[in-house]
Amino acid sequence: MNSDLPFLPSRRTALQATASGFGYMAFSALSTMQAEQQKSPLTAKAPHFTPKAKRVIFLCMQGGPSHVDTFDYKPQLTADTGKNAKGFAKLLGSPWEFKQHGESGLPISSLFPNLAEHADDLCLINSMHTDLPNHPQAFVQMHTGNFQFVRPSLGAWTLYGLGTENDSLPGFINLAPPNGNGGAQNYGSAFLPAVYQGTPVGQAQRGALLRGGGAAPTPTISNIKNSKLSPELQRVQLDYIKSLNIEKLKRDRVHPEIEGVIESFELAFRMQDEVPTVLDFNSEPENIREMYGLNDRATQGFGTQCLTARRMAEAGVRFIEVNQGNWDHHRNLSNAMEQNCGAIDKPIAGLLADLKQRDMLKDTLIVWSGEFGRTPHGQNGNGRDHNNKGYTSWMAGGGVNGGQRYGSTDEYGYQAIENKVHTHDWHATILHLMGLDHTKLTYNYAGRDFRLTDVHGHVLKDIIS
Amino acid sequence: MNRFFAVLLAATVSANAQEMSMTQSDEFSEEQLNFFESKIRPVLVKNCYKCHAKEGDKIKGGLLLDTRDGSIRGGDSGSALTPGNAEESLIYIAMTYEDSSLEMPPKTKLPNHVLADFKKWIDMGAPDPRRSADADKPAEKYSSTIDIEKGRKEHWAYQVPTKHEVPQTKKADWAKNEIDQFVLASLEKNELAPNSDTDARTFLRRVYYDLIGLPPSIAATEAFVKAWDLDPDKATANAVDELLASERFGERWGRHWLDVARYAESSGRESNATFPHAWRYRDYVIDAFNDDKPFDQFVVEQVAGDLLQFETDEQQAEQLVATGFLTIGTKGLNERNPRQFRFDMIDEQIDTATKAVLATTVACARCHDHKFDPIPMSDYYAMAGIFLSSHTHFGSPRTAQNRNSTSLIELPGNVPRAGEKLPLGELVDLQARNDMIAKQLRETEEKVREARASGDTDAAQRLRLQSLNNINQSGIVKSNLEAFDNDGNRKPLAMAMQDGDTLYDSPILVRGEIENATKETVPRGFVQVIQTNDERPIPETQSGRLQMARWMTSPENPMTSRVFVNRTWHWLFGQGLVTSVDNFGTTGEKPTHPELLDQLAVRFIEMEWSVKSLIKEIVTSRTYRMNSDYDEAKFLTDPDNKQLWRTNKRRIDAESFRDATLAVSGQIDLERPQGSIVAAQGNGFVGRAGAISSVEDYLTNSNFSNRSVYVPVIRDMLPDSLQLFDFADPSLVLGARETTTVPSQALFLMNSNFLQTNAEAMSNLLTNELNLRGGKLGYTAFHLCYSRPPTEEEGRKTKAYFERFISTAKESGLNEAEATKLALHTFCQSLMSSAEFRYVN
Repeated sequence: MNSDLPFLPSRRTALQATASGFGYMAFSALSTMQAEQQKSPLTAKAPHFTPKAKRVIFLCMQGGPSHVDTFDYKPQLTADTGKNAKGFAKLLGSPWEFKQHGESGLPISSLFPNLAEHADDLCLINSMHTDLPNHPQAFVQMHTGNFQFVRPSLGAWTLYGLGTENDSLPGFINLAPPNGNGGAQNYGSAFLPAVYQGTPVGQAQRGALLRGGGAAPTPTISNIKNSKLSPELQRVQLDYIKSLNIEKLKRDRVHPEIEGVIESFELAFRMQDEVPTVLDFNSEPENIREMYGLNDRATQGFGTQCLTARRMAEAGVRFIEVNQGNWDHHRNLSNAMEQNCGAIDKPIAGLLADLKQRDMLKDTLIVWSGEFGRTPHGQNGNGRDHNNKGYTSWMAGGGVNGGQRYGSTDEYGYQAIENKVHTHDWHATILHLMGLDHTKLTYNYAGRDFRLTDVHGHVLKDIIS
Repeated sequence: MNRFFAVLLAATVSANAQEMSMTQSDEFSEEQLNFFESKIRPVLVKNCYKCHAKEGDKIKGGLLLDTRDGSIRGGDSGSALTPGNAEESLIYIAMTYEDSSLEMPPKTKLPNHVLADFKKWIDMGAPDPRRSADADKPAEKYSSTIDIEKGRKEHWAYQVPTKHEVPQTKKADWAKNEIDQFVLASLEKNELAPNSDTDARTFLRRVYYDLIGLPPSIAATEAFVKAWDLDPDKATANAVDELLASERFGERWGRHWLDVARYAESSGRESNATFPHAWRYRDYVIDAFNDDKPFDQFVVEQVAGDLLQFETDEQQAEQLVATGFLTIGTKGLNERNPRQFRFDMIDEQIDTATKAVLATTVACARCHDHKFDPIPMSDYYAMAGIFLSSHTHFGSPRTAQNRNSTSLIELPGNVPRAGEKLPLGELVDLQARNDMIAKQLRETEEKVREARASGDTDAAQRLRLQSLNNINQSGIVKSNLEAFDNDGNRKPLAMAMQDGDTLYDSPILVRGEIENATKETVPRGFVQVIQTNDERPIPETQSGRLQMARWMTSPENPMTSRVFVNRTWHWLFGQGLVTSVDNFGTTGEKPTHPELLDQLAVRFIEMEWSVKSLIKEIVTSRTYRMNSDYDEAKFLTDPDNKQLWRTNKRRIDAESFRDATLAVSGQIDLERPQGSIVAAQGNGFVGRAGAISSVEDYLTNSNFSNRSVYVPVIRDMLPDSLQLFDFADPSLVLGARETTTVPSQALFLMNSNFLQTNAEAMSNLLTNELNLRGGKLGYTAFHLCYSRPPTEEEGRKTKAYFERFISTAKESGLNEAEATKLALHTFCQSLMSSAEFRYVN
């Protein structure tokens, strides 16, 4: 039997061996049975029903971008600028012009000239609302559904529900996540097994966030490169480690965890190849680089993230989160919005166009959202305060009806009034598009079945194609 | 000593505090009402009624200040008034202008003497004759349908454990003690036979990792093998005694309890402020296990150590530090509503205390009756009253975003300090910085007033931001300065509990919402379904924490002993007799060996709650000595090994792995570090300027080689060596860790600085210090890492490895010496990275 062992397999045979399941010890039906029970928790799993989307790219806008200046057209607000409304401070009409775009005629402000060209792909959810107008709580609630307790994040739930499709990359990747506002909690797994937590790639740079726009964060995965060994030498070393592990497996006879260890080294070794490849844009042609705005300092940072996201989506990563901060515009709205929207407009448009030309938009769900929106009245003359009662998120691709406005706020944009969408509903809808029933995706912790949406959440059937 | 009396005194004075509870009181003296009429009402009418009265122009934020009820009920931001506590009343906070997002009245801050009047008024209970004209909101009602008596009868865990007759077994010569008889009887009932004993080396490695979290030395292994050959029982007993007596034992078992106590040195959540004094609790826990402090006393000290008698200052200090248990939880420091903050903190305390000690999920009854266990909301709020009547001293700098900071407790007597004396120059600098910021703040605030007066609102806003910045800096610097006395000595500060000056019974918060308090309060008390006959009523002059601690540790409490015995079993076998170690409720798992669990629970109390005696009884059993071999027939009958036909194969945990790596490389420093890195860094907010930015970098750059229990635990910023290997999330009570196998672990083993550095050190140890070469080197390396010599096959594989590695290295341009050196390093790293290094059989 020992002679059957693929003792020093090449990378390819190792891949085949792992792809066909725990091939090292074709022991007996028993061993296979036990192995089946304990197979990798990341193995792709069947969804609850046929999914519209296979993967998610979440464009996370930390700080609370203004909805009335971007995607929620409020002519009455413009008309009543300067008036005192409802006892608040003076109303501040958007300094930017809204025009209708595409066949659908979606109104989008002049801050997003490139994105506006994709109006027919966008579903603007104008009636979002969340529980609190404070950054930390709202940001954590957007990610985990709950700001009071430590709960698993949206990405972790998705990975728990579906597993992943690329065995050379982690299934949930978070690009340059911010440290504050809950930090790792926002991509954590809480009581779900740690394997479902997001792998952070690159770190938000505090200075860059303060400056706004900022330099491109360099995406990295920790310990991805050996500082002393060439790949050839490391392969020799890994073959030796594998031989020690196989010796152990032989002595233990049946020990699925050791098989898991052997597998994880092979995946790690592959990741060393795959991750730098995914993170290396040199193979991207000039027109693509231009599309994402990599040639312009203003758009380079977010463009890099968007292109990374596309490359990871293509490579089979299940959930990818992309971050842009600095949306907390209590003052200096007119300059800061130009700068911030300018930084993301072209890259997002590029991402949508690129996915479409690769025929990937149909099963890639793009979600854009901040933790809340901003007030229609002014603050500090040229700024806006936090507003949790009404704001806008949008979705595109992945089975979402484009060219649609769903729900609405009042005449000024203070609060959602029609078809209100709470964070829980938003979560339920994202899971639904991925083929998961948010009421059935549960995990038992301390005696209770927990859900991302707790006891809430309604799927927005009307936005699904 | 004085502090104890102060507490007693305060408690006596507040005996009539009930009437100042959060609901309502009608009894105010004429003098008090005159104060309201002359000092308060005119201010309210002039400055507040315009926006916050029924007859006003508009009602902003849903808040009505024209009645006492309305003020207490509050508006969108929650209750505006907490009678008896100005610092917790939003109306007062808004008037102080300390929170930029909540400044009232909006245009100008009221003069300081008015603020002082309001503080005085609220602190005296907010006497106020203004009644609601109509009961515009129906009183919140609470009723429960839970039948506690029935619930108690129907669930196994609520029955007091009793001793059972030790069962007879067919196999007569196997059992070494009672444990074995229960296990064997159950195996025989299921037609299973126990595996045979393991070998000496495997056993020693197992018991070393289980008891002290480190591998045995080569000499200890060889000596044990000889002793085992002569008399395995005696060899085992001696080894166990030696390990239990080692200080390494407390570091290992203290860390287990720190998982349950969700120990961390920062507040976590959004703000993540450092807790520079949390390490005292860590050291207390380690010492308690080393001293074999009776477990009941250990619990009482953690819950109510501040209320216990003491004979020396040092004893008092120790007992105060123990209550750190209740203070180190996660906190949403940026919560604006102090009352919300208070109830969230209390929830965390109830949750931790009841899960850790009782494996009962009491906190599920915060918003509604417990859905599964017979715990009504009224039980939850009975406990909430106990915490509401206590002060939680957790520190943290007071900033614009953190209005919830508290003082710390200065310990009496001769206690260790977090570090050396601050050099005079640095102290002077710190003082100067403190003064400078204070001065800046005063100046900025003056400018704000000027700008407001002149009507330049833009400038006022800008300056206001600047002053907030000053407030934040000042908060951090001030809290750091306060950690030193005038000579630069570190003050012996601690996080701890004390009874409050005012004692409260809590109302029930319907749906858990602070605005929806019932009119009636619940007398302070415990969870009724967990009954003991020796319960003592809570005196009117005390919070009830001490009585709660006594209730928890009563020999008649059906949970406490069982829960800890089960945790111990889990930590020794990798799965508890009840697998849901933190949940003994109806949704938890049933015990696999109910009689054995009972027997151990009773034995534990008989042995005067001695943890070391309990562990010794378990690890000297035959059950613990079985081998972990796979057996097809037994596996088919019992795949999950519920009946304990073998020992489970287990991966060592994150700390043991890190410590073992440092141990075999000769790098480990077994001294306890003074304080903690977090203490040295002082107060601040994690990730922001001035506080720790990366524990990983810090450990690497400082060559931190102390045991892992001393690695700083900062929430949401764990070092790779712990985080990647399933360290317990320090935000949650976790008696059982996950074991994941993910590629980021492999990447760490292959490429991390930590592994490479230690591999080099091990290689140097073998070649330079031990002067070993060739086969002897290989033999020693294997023995160090695996507690056994290499097999012949491993010897051949290793020889082949060196040949292949060196030739490949030479092909890539290295010379013979370089190639050999690198081969040695990678050989050591391979052993550390291999599965056998981190698995025990």
